[in-house]
Amino acid sequence: MRRRHPLPALRATAAAAALLAANAFAQTPTEAELARKLDALAAELANVKAQLQQLQQQKAAAGAPASPAAPAAPATSAAPVAAAPVAAPPAEPATVFSGYGELNYNRPKASENTQADVRRFVLGLQHRFDAKTKMVGEIEVEHAVSSADDPGEVEIEQAYVEHQLNPTWAVRGGLFLVPMGLLNENHEPTAYYGVERNFVETAIIPSTWREGGVQLAGSFDNGLALQAGISTGFDLTKWDATSTEGLESPLGAIHQELSLAKARDLSVFGALNWRGIPGLQLGGGLFAGGATHGQSAARGRVTLWDLHARWTPGRWDLAALYSRGSISNTAALNATLIGNPTLIPKSFDGAYLQAAYKLWTHEDYALSPFVRLERFNTAKSYADLGTGLTPSPAATERVLTVGANFQLTPGVVVKADVQRFRENKDNNRLDLGLGWSF
Amino acid sequence: MRLWPAAAVAAIAPASAFAVDYLSAEQAARLMFPDADTFAPRELALDADQLRALEAQGVRGRSARWTVRVAQHAGATLGFVVVDEVIGKFELITYAVGIGLDGAVRQVEILSYRESHGHEIRLPGWRRQFVGKTAQSPLRIGDDIANISGATLSCTHVTEGIRRIVAVVALTRRNGALA
Amino acid sequence: MQDRWLSGAAALMAAVALAACGGGGTAGSSAAPTEQALSAQASLGEKIFRDTSLSASGRMACASCHDPDSAHAPPNALAVQLGGALLDQPGVRSAPSIRYLAFNTGFFFDTEGTPTGGFFWDGRAASLQQQAGDPLLNPIEMANTSKADVVDKLSRATYADEFKQVFGADIFSRPDDAFDRLTLALQMYQLEDVEFRAFTSKYDAFLRGQAALSAQEQRGLALFNNPVKGNCAGCHPSAKGSDGSHPLFTDFTYDNLGVPRNPAIPANADSAYYDLGLCARPDGSMASFKDLCGAFKVPSLRNVAQRKVFFHNGRFTSLKDALTFYVQRDTNPEKFYPLKADGTVDKFDDLPAIYHANVNTVEVPYNRKLGDAPALTDAEVDDVIVFLQTLNDGYTP
Repeated sequence: MRRRHPLPALRATAAAAALLAANAFAQTPTEAELARKLDALAAELANVKAQLQQLQQQKAAAGAPASPAAPAAPATSAAPVAAAPVAAPPAEPATVFSGYGELNYNRPKASENTQADVRRFVLGLQHRFDAKTKMVGEIEVEHAVSSADDPGEVEIEQAYVEHQLNPTWAVRGGLFLVPMGLLNENHEPTAYYGVERNFVETAIIPSTWREGGVQLAGSFDNGLALQAGISTGFDLTKWDATSTEGLESPLGAIHQELSLAKARDLSVFGALNWRGIPGLQLGGGLFAGGATHGQSAARGRVTLWDLHARWTPGRWDLAALYSRGSISNTAALNATLIGNPTLIPKSFDGAYLQAAYKLWTHEDYALSPFVRLERFNTAKSYADLGTGLTPSPAATERVLTVGANFQLTPGVVVKADVQRFRENKDNNRLDLGLGWSF
Repeated sequence: MRLWPAAAVAAIAPASAFAVDYLSAEQAARLMFPDADTFAPRELALDADQLRALEAQGVRGRSARWTVRVAQHAGATLGFVVVDEVIGKFELITYAVGIGLDGAVRQVEILSYRESHGHEIRLPGWRRQFVGKTAQSPLRIGDDIANISGATLSCTHVTEGIRRIVAVVALTRRNGALA
Repeated sequence: MQDRWLSGAAALMAAVALAACGGGGTAGSSAAPTEQALSAQASLGEKIFRDTSLSASGRMACASCHDPDSAHAPPNALAVQLGGALLDQPGVRSAPSIRYLAFNTGFFFDTEGTPTGGFFWDGRAASLQQQAGDPLLNPIEMANTSKADVVDKLSRATYADEFKQVFGADIFSRPDDAFDRLTLALQMYQLEDVEFRAFTSKYDAFLRGQAALSAQEQRGLALFNNPVKGNCAGCHPSAKGSDGSHPLFTDFTYDNLGVPRNPAIPANADSAYYDLGLCARPDGSMASFKDLCGAFKVPSLRNVAQRKVFFHNGRFTSLKDALTFYVQRDTNPEKFYPLKADGTVDKFDDLPAIYHANVNTVEVPYNRKLGDAPALTDAEVDDVIVFLQTLNDGYTP
């Protein structure tokens, strides 16, 4: 019979079989070598047992002093904190939930209008795809119940992807908050003083204001942070001259929230903030773009800018802001709306000064009384439409808010304040609020 | 300051493949103690009494095991470097604290920072606030450490972490666990 | 030679036949130069619309009271039109314009309980198709005795073959179906023919930025919109929608104005007779809504300046009188209502006393009291009228 050479795979298998046979039957090695092998195995086993014991001890020791210091939410990210880490950055994808909520109680002078409301309940989601890329989303329910017959609303407030290009620059694409003012990007109830968000940053800067587009964010070593981009903008064809919405907030009445948004006219925006000195922030923002999208005989542009400063020396928290908006070509835009109660204003602006002081702290409790003086005018000027047809500018409203934020623990705040209005004294009110953010 | 050029070199040198990691632990340790020739790792295990003592000081122990790198030159101890991680808002922040023989903070370095906001905690100005702080300092935001507007959680958690590290080092040096 | 003559005659007859029954409105259509291509159903509908043979009198078609040259409204100044087999039966309500109804819906109560939609002054028809059938069978209008009667006349119309082509050769053997198709054709005609929603008024051109309003027209528009002056826009919206749609000058809801009784309507000679509008639908479906007695549909104000009688009972014969009634109804009621035996004004005399409370007295401009100044002065009423004239279709700059 002719001998055949075994194929390479078969050869390997044969070799393995031979090795097994050698180990199993100990044909060649001596008993001493075998004993050595056994000792080595025993030593390894002892080592592994010791490590296991160590790990168990670590777990027990770390479990005893519970750590409420780290935020409760991220289950996956909290795990590596127990062991003392070497600098190996966690690059594994992680999904993190966050959220904030506000429950408000308002009691105006006309007490029959007293109201309590789950003002907002927000769930945030951040998912990290890799070390450089993450997705950020936020969904909000306003006024607790949302349906065709109920006053609530459900909305997507943020939905964007952020990619870190290099240590300095990141790019964002999607639905993101417009960098303007102090409140818009930082609007959690624990981030501002008072039960309700201030009027300048709701009526003039329409917080929470988000647009869809592309944004570049750069942070430099000298403390400058630059954000700029192109995004969707406002829709002037939405202006309802028969309702008072436009008088409460001109831009709030025509924002699109990336909901079937008209996007023929895009807007550009930019914001510059300097935090070079710890505790000091100086900055400003600008937003400008067309808002008629070729759907109106008259074309109009919306422009909004702001300047702001925040200084937190020691226990003080001081803030100041000025914002001004303008709409172009309002004479032509208003021509078809004359006589209606709410025409499109040419300009609107507002400013505030705020001071808070961390009066008392004990462990995690902190009481911070504050005072805020703001003035704003949602219809500061109108374009001339002819005698008898041009509306008079609105009166500048001044609001004084005095109250306190009481921090129960970082992330939970109880608030109370009283507000006094110079023009609409019927709006004078007492507010109470509960808020959380994690 | 002679720390600046070293920091600049470290920043230019490609630290790692990931864009938001600025320094490695070794680089940070070398920045803090440029005269050291070795960094001997010392494993510390805090027992229940020590953890309770920390709580009494107002510091949450969080973990019983700590790795301290002891900076040594020719056998003599120069100081200690501790590397730690805290959560900012969503992401982990890795940082290193260098403590001198007098128990005071010499330097704080941010090794990795991934949050969208609050990059300013990496600025020398913010980190310099910690230089000279000891276990007796308040080390609290809104007290002796200024906040960064828009990054309160990151600042608070890092400050808390530094306070914890300073307290742990002071405690373990007192009871002899750390030479 | 005989063959050639026959074939020639055949060719001629064929040509005539083709011309007679071809689609595209060669038979009896008005010579509108911008005639668009209507579908087969709509083109039949147009013929039916103008066909006077479909009435008992043989002299009344839809177009008789909805004259295309008068904005599809009556061409005369009668408060109510005359119908019936001898065209001597007066109606009870004025014939409205049937333009801009493509945007109307069936009747419903909206989320706030406001009655909305529906065709006719009382909203009793749920669609244009349903509305089209009523006058054909109404004894005081086209006075056909039954659907079969209508279909019988239809089968002898000049376009009967076309009707059979579109709806089936045996359609006339099924009278109910044929009647249904007839009304469907009328609906399709009203939906497709751009004449019914031309948007060619000066105001439309103004909204497009192609025309400017005169100073008086602007003043009129401002008074029309102003919620404390005319407040007409409260029920007759004047603003473009955010989707670019031009306003219809009606929100298709209902209002009770307490319009004075019109003695020109013969039915009103019977003092026990009241036209109660929305709550008095013939089928009784709205009988329980007593607060809606006296309410009538808000009509579109487009082409209103072409009308000769105003409101559901044609009580006023000029826009000036109608608008003056709006603003002086409560300040000078003696101008509009008769005096009672004791010398007091018999206000809201076209409603039984129990329903006087239904009259709208809270909305501007009819929220005044005796002795108040009217919401609009005489000159302001003139301004509004000048503005309303910009709502007439067919504007050419």
